[in-house]
Amino acid sequence: MKRNLYLGLGFFALLGSLAILSTVLRKRAAVEAAGVMAPRFEVDPLWPKPLPNHWLLGMTIGVSVDAQDHIWIIHRGGSLERMENYAAANPPAAECCMAAPPVLEFDEDGNLLRHWGGPGQGYDWPASNHGITIDYKGNVWIGGNGRGAAVAPPTQAAALNESQPGGGPFNDNMVLKFTQDGKFLMQIGRPGQSKGSNDIENLKGPAKMFIDKDTNELYVADGYGNHRVIVYDAETGKYKRHWGAYGHKPDDTSLGPYNPDAPPAPQFRNPVHCAELANDGLLYVCDRVNDRIQVFHKDGTFVKEAIIAKRTLGDGSVWDIAFSKDPQQKYIFLADGSNEKVYIILRDTLEILTSFGDGGRQPGEFYAVHSIATDSKGNIFTTETYRGQRVQKFVYKGMAPLTKKDQGVLWPKKAS
Amino acid sequence: MDCREFTCLSPVRKKIAPHLCIAGLLAALALGLPHALFAHDIPNDVTVQGFVKPHGQTLDLLMRVPLDAMRDTEFPERGPGYLDLARVDASLREAAAVWIANSVEIYEDDVRLPKPKIVEVRASLPSDKSFASFEEAFAHVTGPPLSNQVQIYWNQAMLDVLFEYPIRFDRSRFAIHPGLARLGLQVVTALRFLPPGGAVRAFEFVGDPGRVRLDPHWYEAALTFVKLGFFHILDGTDHLLFLFCLVIPFRRLRSLVPVVTAFTVAHSMTLIASAYNLAPDFLWFPPLIETLIAMSIVYMALENIVGGIGVQRRWLITFGFGLVHGFGFSFALRQTLQFAGSHLLTSLLSFNIGVELGQLLVLLLLIPALHLFFRFAVAERTGTIILSALVAHTGWHWMLDRGAQLRQFRFVWPALTAAMLATAVHWLIVMLVIAAVLWYLTTHQPLKFPPGRAASTKIPGITMASLRTVEHSLETEMGGEI
Repeated sequence: MKRNLYLGLGFFALLGSLAILSTVLRKRAAVEAAGVMAPRFEVDPLWPKPLPNHWLLGMTIGVSVDAQDHIWIIHRGGSLERMENYAAANPPAAECCMAAPPVLEFDEDGNLLRHWGGPGQGYDWPASNHGITIDYKGNVWIGGNGRGAAVAPPTQAAALNESQPGGGPFNDNMVLKFTQDGKFLMQIGRPGQSKGSNDIENLKGPAKMFIDKDTNELYVADGYGNHRVIVYDAETGKYKRHWGAYGHKPDDTSLGPYNPDAPPAPQFRNPVHCAELANDGLLYVCDRVNDRIQVFHKDGTFVKEAIIAKRTLGDGSVWDIAFSKDPQQKYIFLADGSNEKVYIILRDTLEILTSFGDGGRQPGEFYAVHSIATDSKGNIFTTETYRGQRVQKFVYKGMAPLTKKDQGVLWPKKAS
Repeated sequence: MDCREFTCLSPVRKKIAPHLCIAGLLAALALGLPHALFAHDIPNDVTVQGFVKPHGQTLDLLMRVPLDAMRDTEFPERGPGYLDLARVDASLREAAAVWIANSVEIYEDDVRLPKPKIVEVRASLPSDKSFASFEEAFAHVTGPPLSNQVQIYWNQAMLDVLFEYPIRFDRSRFAIHPGLARLGLQVVTALRFLPPGGAVRAFEFVGDPGRVRLDPHWYEAALTFVKLGFFHILDGTDHLLFLFCLVIPFRRLRSLVPVVTAFTVAHSMTLIASAYNLAPDFLWFPPLIETLIAMSIVYMALENIVGGIGVQRRWLITFGFGLVHGFGFSFALRQTLQFAGSHLLTSLLSFNIGVELGQLLVLLLLIPALHLFFRFAVAERTGTIILSALVAHTGWHWMLDRGAQLRQFRFVWPALTAAMLATAVHWLIVMLVIAAVLWYLTTHQPLKFPPGRAASTKIPGITMASLRTVEHSLETEMGGEI
């Protein structure tokens, strides 16, 4: 009886202590919540669903989310190895596999919806497609960075490197506009016609596009061969304006290799890899190899710049950006395909809050994370080029107090 | 093959029409259509947005539907297929009447309202954000239309429409049957109900949810959830197999009472906790629970085969597994709790009642069947082993399949924030209370005692004679294993 009394007292004492602890922790949590917070993400390893028809993705070189939260990617079937194309051989050499069509649309659950793409009548499909953007009217825009002549159908093409180094001048000097069903609408520029960074008729390895819904203007990050941002009317293709780094007139003088200890380069290096317009009218440009973002007004007036991972050589650190989906677009998510991470950056100060990801092939890791986009729920989608060749989804899990500058892979390395 | 031809067929053929279309298109694809264009006349994935707002003697229904989903209406085009906005009004009204007004039924106090008046129609850009709120959407639909200069490809535009229904009173009980499933292969309808008083109640349906009460009485919500619970248990093969395992050695209702009660209490606890957002929100949590449910079946089946002390304490282990199954029930309920209106707890308890009724029905069928099986087909012990082995086999494969899916995830150590620790402490308190209750029950519950020990413990109100009676009945039921 006495034992039971002690046990009961102990139980209620423990219960009371825990209740007090809970209250203290709640108060502490409220204080933490008032401090620096950052969006929290968790990789979804089951997204997307397996592709049908033994289809494989090659270098997955662009991602965009439309107004219905459908996820669009573009990839290069021609970058697959010979053995990955056995099912497409004549006669088929094996049951598996073959390249998926270049343009693929997924729903939020990762189910494949529409798929299309490739050479056709009335337009010049890029030898090496690059970047995909769904505009505010639902149209699909595609760039390219191929060198040499137009490529054979994807399944027969030789493997292509990300920018096909050493393959001659950039031949993909155009952007293409399609409906969501793959019906051709417009082409700006012609293959092999570029006369350089001040040619307003043609592009040169255009990397990514953005369409301003207020003015119906197309902004092109141009690109792998040119050193500029160029603006066209998105309906007529009529030239509007263009500019280089700091808003200067671009020129194609070689800057040599990037030197992190030298003063900032006066021109964009190749490639100019993204041009994204924020809701407040500021244009953010990825100067990939110079490891910097430059910010402009819509007319090309320079506003500011930020250097990201300054000591990154080679392919550079600023590959692609996407904005958070709050109306203020408080955060920038920046894909760095060299250091294999995504930075979370405060848009107004361009200060890096934290980052996630690391090199590798497991879910949540990256190999050459190339493109990034967000949906209306705040989820992030990334694609990987080179031998990464996939699309990943990072589910938005709300805001959390900032605890680490570099979160690493979104699961612990020691876990097996 | 043109999918449009199926739209006027009988209901059965309408159901199979999309599949025939897919088959036809796949065949066309296999024959080598250029560029592998997979042009669906029936869209795969359609999202519909809507607002229902009763005010005075009018009910406004604002809807936004992709034009792509309205397959039989010819919209005037210009150029390469851009919508001719100057001439589109009549087509939009026709589409609104045929594809929305004819499919949506609205009820006031269980009386169906007459066909609505189409007040306004607009073609909109897919990126238009005005359906974020009723006020913005209303202003958009009744505001100026898109300029004819805008070039929008016809099947990338949206149809916005304002319907008006005459009603008697804006505080009546309204229900809606949004029969919009025929718009696509998968149709998600996001609907917001704005009753007088400023509250906004959000719904999201997949396909055709049937008649949905927008502001149900408590007894209407309760009935809905009793039905949901009842049919959920009957549809859930894994829950049924678990129940089957429970029953094989206990075939008298009286001896099943503690076991089934333990299961019920446990799954009610985790189900209610989940509904109040106390369950972990990690992506790996649902696959973990599904794997644990499969493990619970395997464990129960193996225990039936092995017998012994585990069977005697079955109510205890059932309690533990009940906690797991409760999370499983919560995943099934996640999408349907929206139908609870303001009666969340009532609905949760009703769902549990439905589950119990379903279990009761299954038990009433299973127990006599097992009796007959053991009497006429096979000896009890042998039969128990055979049946349990079959169940264990199925459960084992489920466990492997679900475990494989679980292994796709990597455990994420959550950052040790105060909010996370506070949640952990909350769960610790819950577990402590559960442990205390279990401790009390195990020290005061007669069924746990093996023969010989019961006599040494004095429990008020329980006599040796009654314990022996229980033991004897268990011995009889379990083939003398106790």
